[in-house]
Amino acid sequence: MKKVYIFLFVFFVLGRCVFAGDMQKNNSDIDDLKNEIEQLKLQFQEMKANYESKINQLETKIAGLQEASPKIESTQIAQVSKPAEGRFFQNFNPDISVIGDFTFHGTDKKDDEQYNQFKMRQAELAFSAPVDSYARADLFMHIEPDGEEWGIGLCEGYITLLELPVPGLQAKVGKFKANFGKVNRMHLHSLPWVDYPNMLTNFFGEEGMSQPGISASYLVPNPWDNYIELTLEAMNNHNSSVFAGSEGRDLVYIAHLKNFFDINEESAIELGGSFATGPNDDGHGKNRTNIEGIDLTYKWKPLKEGLYKSFVFQNEILFCQKDNVGDEELGVKQIDSWGVYSSAQYQFAKRWSVFGRYDFSEFPDSANNCDYAYSVGMTFNQSEYCFWRLQFKRTDRNYSKDSNEIWLQCNFGLGPHRKHEF
Amino acid sequence: MKKIFFALTLILGFGLLSYAGDKINILTSTSDLKSIAEFIGGDKVTVDSLGKGYQDPHFIDAKPSFMIKAKKADLFIVVGLELEIGYEELIIDGSRNPKIRFGQIGYLDVSNGASLLEIPTTKIDRSMGDVHPMGNPHYWLDPMNAKVIAFNIANRLSELSPDDEFYFKENLNKFNKKIDEKFAEWAEKLNPFNGKKIAVYHRSWPYFADRFGLDIACELEPKPGIPPSPGHLKDVIQKMRDENIKVILMEVFYDEKPARFVAEQTGAKLAIVPNSVGGTKEAKDYFSLIDAIVEKLAEAFSL
Repeated sequence: MKKVYIFLFVFFVLGRCVFAGDMQKNNSDIDDLKNEIEQLKLQFQEMKANYESKINQLETKIAGLQEASPKIESTQIAQVSKPAEGRFFQNFNPDISVIGDFTFHGTDKKDDEQYNQFKMRQAELAFSAPVDSYARADLFMHIEPDGEEWGIGLCEGYITLLELPVPGLQAKVGKFKANFGKVNRMHLHSLPWVDYPNMLTNFFGEEGMSQPGISASYLVPNPWDNYIELTLEAMNNHNSSVFAGSEGRDLVYIAHLKNFFDINEESAIELGGSFATGPNDDGHGKNRTNIEGIDLTYKWKPLKEGLYKSFVFQNEILFCQKDNVGDEELGVKQIDSWGVYSSAQYQFAKRWSVFGRYDFSEFPDSANNCDYAYSVGMTFNQSEYCFWRLQFKRTDRNYSKDSNEIWLQCNFGLGPHRKHEF
Repeated sequence: MKKIFFALTLILGFGLLSYAGDKINILTSTSDLKSIAEFIGGDKVTVDSLGKGYQDPHFIDAKPSFMIKAKKADLFIVVGLELEIGYEELIIDGSRNPKIRFGQIGYLDVSNGASLLEIPTTKIDRSMGDVHPMGNPHYWLDPMNAKVIAFNIANRLSELSPDDEFYFKENLNKFNKKIDEKFAEWAEKLNPFNGKKIAVYHRSWPYFADRFGLDIACELEPKPGIPPSPGHLKDVIQKMRDENIKVILMEVFYDEKPARFVAEQTGAKLAIVPNSVGGTKEAKDYFSLIDAIVEKLAEAFSL
């Protein structure tokens, strides 16, 4: 081993000596270079003088022309360079957008509150802009029907700190959808289906888990130069499905590791792992819920035909362990339940795509009750700003009546709305 | 003693390796900007682009892998005029690279100073299709605008690396000289067809047409970004027959079927061309891109 070190040491020292020898040779090269630079400097000064004289000539010419026809030039200049009149500080107004979602829902489940009804499901009002040179803010308000009334709530509202002392680190504070899995973060208008998967609604509620909290995400350096993002979050444990609901007086901690690989220029895979833990009652840890998730998404889009063809295969699985020590009715100490969905979407023309989704999901408070659901559908993208969708869904339930449902959806948007993540 | 030798070899080894010299790392939105940046930057830069020349530059996905490329960039160059509006912010924010944020020295919009067309003078809204409020963004297809792009890049590179200013400015002079020489060739090839009317698929050719004296008489898209409809194609076919329009010009990434149908009905020739470097294998750089377009057009006119 000693001999190896000596050999390596001598090798690098010799390398340096050759390099030093090169350095001596380089010294005379440097002198040559210095002379060249001097010559170039002289040439540049000549060129500069030449151009300056040409510019002077042109300026004289222009002055002459301006005297000849001042009216035309001044109107032209006014049209081209005069800034817009008005209240200039309105230039700092945020991007404002509104996205409406309308459905007709047909079902054979007569006790469904949406039995054969039209519904204006949501109007999402979004405001987005840089706050200052350090951060941007995004606020999303939802106007939704509440029986015969209408309610407005804050779906998400957070500030993202874009420049932090640690390179690769970003943070946000506010109310936001938890970075658990992939579908929990998706807004209604960006779903490839009419409804959220049963796994999400059964475990996290109608629109997923969204609470006030803090989040930090870090791009992890790695030898493969892949996108590896670690996110750590803390938010109130008020989610009523898996955590404490309004009784909660503690926090949920969430971790998510996102890995994104380009297989080639057409295909990519995203693999994510998630974990969430928090008390599920008004206490501080005797009754906890732990949730684990894995998400796997495959995307294909041939670049040349990308306007006309693409394919997405999106899957998630979730495992939940919910303590209910003290709940005598349920009679068990911990409920282990799980849910999964698997979906494929295929675009076959510029504005048309079809999809199919399989759902299986238990419930956090019951591993005995479960849904099996099968959905198929078609989407027509009228333009980038409006789509129509037809979806058929069959759900088999072992705790309630099975159902067949059909939706016609129309989703339409006004104003600039930044695309959600890829 | 062993440890000292090991440490010394490591230090000397890294010392040798680190003498590589630092190049400016450039990321561009389109392959055309990449080509021009390579001409200007020479061996002082490494350049990569988000878009490939055979894809529609409006619809580049903001993939996380692009954010990793952007993370390493010293300079992010864009065409501007909202061509990149669908993905630029997501990639810059996702990259967590403060150097390339809008307004920083590492962010360069090369449209500054370009001679622009189709700047709206009336109110616009989305009923007009995909209209850009600051002008038509396909300005790189006018070789004189390529000089403006090159000038902007040379200036910014000189700010980033003042010691290399002579080098970049010299490359700029060479680039401009080559544009002038090639322009004479291109103009000569298309001169016989001066004033001739052509049909186009998408509204991406006004700069090229203006520069080379062609008249864009109709578009296969009823409005920019709206796919051709049977009703509109019927009108296009009629117009082409009435006005003896014999050439249809379109990019490689659009569906050929509507254009082939119109060509059959009118006896016109279809010129399918790259509109960006790399769009076809002949379009290896900016000059061969314009070569490829000019050749195809001249061929279509002559048939």
